[in-house]
Parts: sequence; structure tokens; C-alpha cells
Amino acid sequence: MSGRGHLGLPGLQSLQARLMATVMGLVCVVWLVVVMATWLDTEHEVGELLDAHMSQAASLLVSLPLNELTRLHLSETPTLHGYQPKVVFQVFHLEAQVVRSATAPAQPLAPLGSEGFSEAVIDGRAWRVFTTPGLDEHVVIHVGEQDTARADVVLASLRSVIWPMAVALPLLALAVWGAVRWAVGPLRLLGWQVAHREPDVADPLPLAGVPLEVRPLVHELNRLFARMASLLQAERRFTADAAHELRTPIAAIRMQAQVAQGALDDDERNDALAATLQGCDRATRLVTQLLQLARLEAEPGLATGVHTDVHTSLQQVLGDLWPVAQRRHQRLEALPHPNGVGPCPAPETLVAVLLRNLVDNALRYSPDHAWVRVQTQTLDAGRTRLTVEDSGPGLSDEHLARLGERFFRVLGTQQSGSGLGWSIVTRVATLYGLDVRLGRSADLGGLRVDVEWT
Amino acid sequence: MRVLLVEDDDLLGSGLRAGLRQQGFQVDWVRDGVAADTELRTGAHTVAVLDLGLPRLDGMAVLQAVRGAKVRTPILVLTARDAVSARIAGLDAGADDYLIKPIDLHELAARLRALVRRSHGQVQNRLVAGPVELDPLSHTVRVRGEPVDVVGREYDLLHALLLNAGRVLSRGQIEQHLYEWGHEVSSNAIEVHVHHLRRKLPPKTIETVRGVGYVIHKAGTA
Repeated sequence: MSGRGHLGLPGLQSLQARLMATVMGLVCVVWLVVVMATWLDTEHEVGELLDAHMSQAASLLVSLPLNELTRLHLSETPTLHGYQPKVVFQVFHLEAQVVRSATAPAQPLAPLGSEGFSEAVIDGRAWRVFTTPGLDEHVVIHVGEQDTARADVVLASLRSVIWPMAVALPLLALAVWGAVRWAVGPLRLLGWQVAHREPDVADPLPLAGVPLEVRPLVHELNRLFARMASLLQAERRFTADAAHELRTPIAAIRMQAQVAQGALDDDERNDALAATLQGCDRATRLVTQLLQLARLEAEPGLATGVHTDVHTSLQQVLGDLWPVAQRRHQRLEALPHPNGVGPCPAPETLVAVLLRNLVDNALRYSPDHAWVRVQTQTLDAGRTRLTVEDSGPGLSDEHLARLGERFFRVLGTQQSGSGLGWSIVTRVATLYGLDVRLGRSADLGGLRVDVEWT
Repeated sequence: MRVLLVEDDDLLGSGLRAGLRQQGFQVDWVRDGVAADTELRTGAHTVAVLDLGLPRLDGMAVLQAVRGAKVRTPILVLTARDAVSARIAGLDAGADDYLIKPIDLHELAARLRALVRRSHGQVQNRLVAGPVELDPLSHTVRVRGEPVDVVGREYDLLHALLLNAGRVLSRGQIEQHLYEWGHEVSSNAIEVHVHHLRRKLPPKTIETVRGVGYVIHKAGTA
């Protein structure tokens, strides 16, 4: 069935109906062929038998001399058998009719001079005729039988063959229907199970009792279910985590505001108000990132053909983040390739989002007085590489592996990251076919992120 | 009352500490689960506020561990996990109360007072011993209905003794109730506070148990 989506006749969408139609159609054809063969064979055999019978009757007449033939009162012979009246004879002597049986036609059944079997049509009736010379000279005997009588005999013998088969046919159909139903039973059960699944139950379909032919299908279905379940779970965890991550800054804002309300002196009040503002900034950043991520998730695919000059974006992002670095006495350094680099195949806004997240993460997770460097270079085959590296503590292998998880933050960091930055970076990269690699910076000793494109 | 605050978020933690101090609590703040576990096991705190999403050791694990170690300190879980199942799990693991972020400072303080009251077998918020009456809500002390000026450490000292009325508190235990970390406590500080307090209260309210500590009897002294 590979590659063919359409399953034949429109009325036969059901496997069971297809099987039934095919099997019963074949049975009927075979049955008809058998009946035809039987008909022909029976007709032939019965014909021979009747011919033999006719020649036998003729031989009785042949044994009689002419004078005895003339004295026959054939009309008075008793009807001993149902077929009998249809067997007739005529006796001619010197082309004159001597005698004929009552049901025989007046004109000769066969032309003069013929001998043996022949066919004749007299008064619209077809006859089978056997002609033989009599005992005396110039005596000709015709024995005839109507074809309809002969056909009756054939039909009678056929009837006994046909009617058991005619009865057997519906029985056979019933049996085939039952067998097909039984055979496709596991399929029907499978369909029922799939249709009646709870939408969010991740249990796989049972493989026991599933026919071998369908097993790959069930395997694939189960894999699909598992994938859906993990997606669903990820979605739920994301919602729960997002709620968690939003609640904490809001709780902090509220708490600091209440502290400001209840403050006894100006210093305490000012501290609390400053902390309230800080909390607002943090919540804003988190909401911005969540929205960015949500928008990226909803992005159906590539907006192809859009290109952005990385250096312009980089200048802007570094300008925005400069004060952040200054506050913590961090050295933020840009080393753009002097001849310019190939444009990045992504919209300007998203390139900025990507750069901002990378640089912001580097600054955020590096200590005071750390060094963060952004570099662009042109590689072979027209590839461009953007590198963000820092002199921070870097990440252990275990943490590197977990980095993709949303809201994952390295424990013990005092920085209030959302844990969403890396998710956003990888999402943008996936959407626009950029290669992102993580590693350790050889120069600065901290984390190094390479983004490459053609 | 000395509160152990366990919260990994800087901003919320500092807010909680400042807010609870405004409400008259002494606050010790730790930021991870391992430290929380260690501190809770000392039993130095009257009550604890525990966040669940903690570095190094999850809040739920801390709860189970300290309850397994028979730590009796009342614990209020403060978390963003709002699912009913999470609340049930938290309470079943040994939390005495469960608050969902964001919270109101006054509600948090009231709940902490209620937890402390209940954990000391008190029905009323007001603590009474004979003619002496302490209202933790208004931070006021009355003797035979007349307000008495007891504030600061003296108030905390009286509060601790009244909460544990009938039980002798050692000087060390009283210090634990009165001082956050980092406070240099002079060797005779408690004696000085007791001395000042005694002058404001009816005689023999605070009894000295020589070589052990101090006690206030529930019915007061004759």
C-alpha cells in the first residue's frame, strides 16, 4: 500500500467490505464457471445417451419386415415415461410414408438419402433425427426427438448439481463474513482503543494481540503518543514555571512596597523604594522575555530573504548594555571584523534579541570586573562567526547539558536571571538556521558561545 | 521572636527581612536548602518561613528532613507553587502553614504569630501570667490593666518567657530568642535585661532558677 493514499473503490473504505467483496466476487465467478462447465459436460453426455437411445429404438424398427411395420398401431402405445412421447418415428418405403408415430410430423424428418444423425427444423420446432435403412429394401426409418425434450433432460440432471451449490453460496458468504470479521477483529479493537483514549493519557497502546502486520503502526502510534505526552508535560511545566517565576518578583515588589509603607525613617523607606523599582525592572525583563519566547514559539517558520547587518545590531545592543557593565565594573569589548561580515539571515529585531540575550547572560553570570568580548569573523566558504565569550566561571558539563531547559538557572548564582535567555537564543537559531555552539573560552576562561551562519 | 527566613531570591528575601523586622521579629536569613536544614536543626528559631524552590536542597526535602529529625519549630511554607496538590504535599510533608506568593506582610506576620501561639499551646494571642498581660499584636504589656513601657529586648525577653511559661529558659536559650546572628552579646546582657524588666513588673514575676535560668509561672506568683 506504500505511496497509495486512495484505497480503491469509494464504497469499499472498510477493510472488511473489501475482503468480503473480493472473496465473494471470486467465489461467484468460480461458481459460474463450474456451472457452465457442468452444463456443457452434462449436455454432451446426456446428448450421447439420448442418441444411443434413439438408435436403439431405431434398431427395434429395423428388425421388423415391411408388412409388419405397416400393421403397427403406434398411436396406441402406452406412455411409459415422461420423455417418451417426444420420441417419434417415421417409416418410408419408396419415398412414401408407411407409418409414423402419432406425435410425429407429416413431412419427413430428414431428406432422402441421408443416414445417421442430423438436425431438422419442422414447423418451427427443432429436432434431432436418426435415420437408418430398414430390413427390407427401400425402407427408411427416421427416429426423431424434439430438442426441447432433450434440453429438459439436461436441465433436470443439471438441477441436481446446481441447487446444492445455490444453497451453499449464501452459507459460504455467511461463513466468509464471519471469518473476515474475526480476522479484522484486532484492527477494529485497535480503532476503538485509539478513538476512546483520554486525550491527555500517555499510556501506550497494548501490543499484545495486535496482528504482526499492524504492529509497526502501533509502534509508531505509541512513539507519537509518548512524544505528545512529553510535549504536553513540557508545556505544563513551562506554564507552572512561568507562574512561579512571575510570582517571586511580584511578591518581592509587594513586600518592598509594604516595607516602604511601614518604614520608620527615610533611609529605610528609600532603600525599600529602590528595591521596589529594581523588582519592577526585573519583572519587566522577565515578561519581555516570556513574550519574546511566546512570539518565537508561535512563529510558523522562516521569514526567508531577510538579512541583517550584525555590526549595526551589535553596536546598538552593546550601547544598551554598556551601563549594566559599567555598574559592575565589567569590561565589555567589541571586536568587529574590520572589513565587515556577511549579513545574518534573520530579521533585525530577532538578531537584536539574540545578541542582547547572549551579551546580557555573559555580563549577568560573570563576576564584577569580569571581561566580556564580542567578536565577529569571516570563515571559509562565506561563513560568518559571531563569538561571545566571558571571563566568568563558565559552566560545568552537567550544567551545559541542562542549559536548554527553560528557567534553568545555575544554583548558587546570586544573579536574578530568568533562565529564559538561552531558550530564546536557541529558538531564534533554529528558526533561521544559525548554528549555535557552547564551549569554554580559551582566551578569557569563561563561557564561549559561537553563532555561525552562511 | 526570632524567625528563620529561607529565601533564595535577593529582592524578596531582603524585603521579607525588612518587613518582618518592622513587625517586631528578629530575622535570620539563609538562601539555600542546606543552610536551612542546618539552622532548623539547631532549634534556635521560634518559627521559620521556608521557600520551596531552593538551591542545593529543595524546600520539600528540607521539610521532610527536619521533620524526620523531630525538629518541632513551626514552619510556614512560602512559595509560588499554587497547585492544590503542591499545597497538600507541603502540608503533609510537615509544613504548619502554606502561603502562596505574593503575600501581604501583615498577613504573614499574623500567621507567624498564630503559628507560634499554637505551637506553645496557647489559644489566645494575648499571653497572661497572673497580673501581667502581653499582646503580641500591639506589642504592648499591661500589669493589672495598666500599660507598662516594655519595649525592645525587654519586650522580646518577656515574650519568650511568657510563651514558655512554666518552663525554665537558660541564658543561652534566651539569647537565641533575642538576638539575630552577628550580634555581639555581652556576657551579662541577659542579666541586665532581666534586671530592667523586673523593675517594671510586679515583684517575683520572673523567678531565677539558680544555675539554670529564668522562669515565669503561668498563674504568676503570689
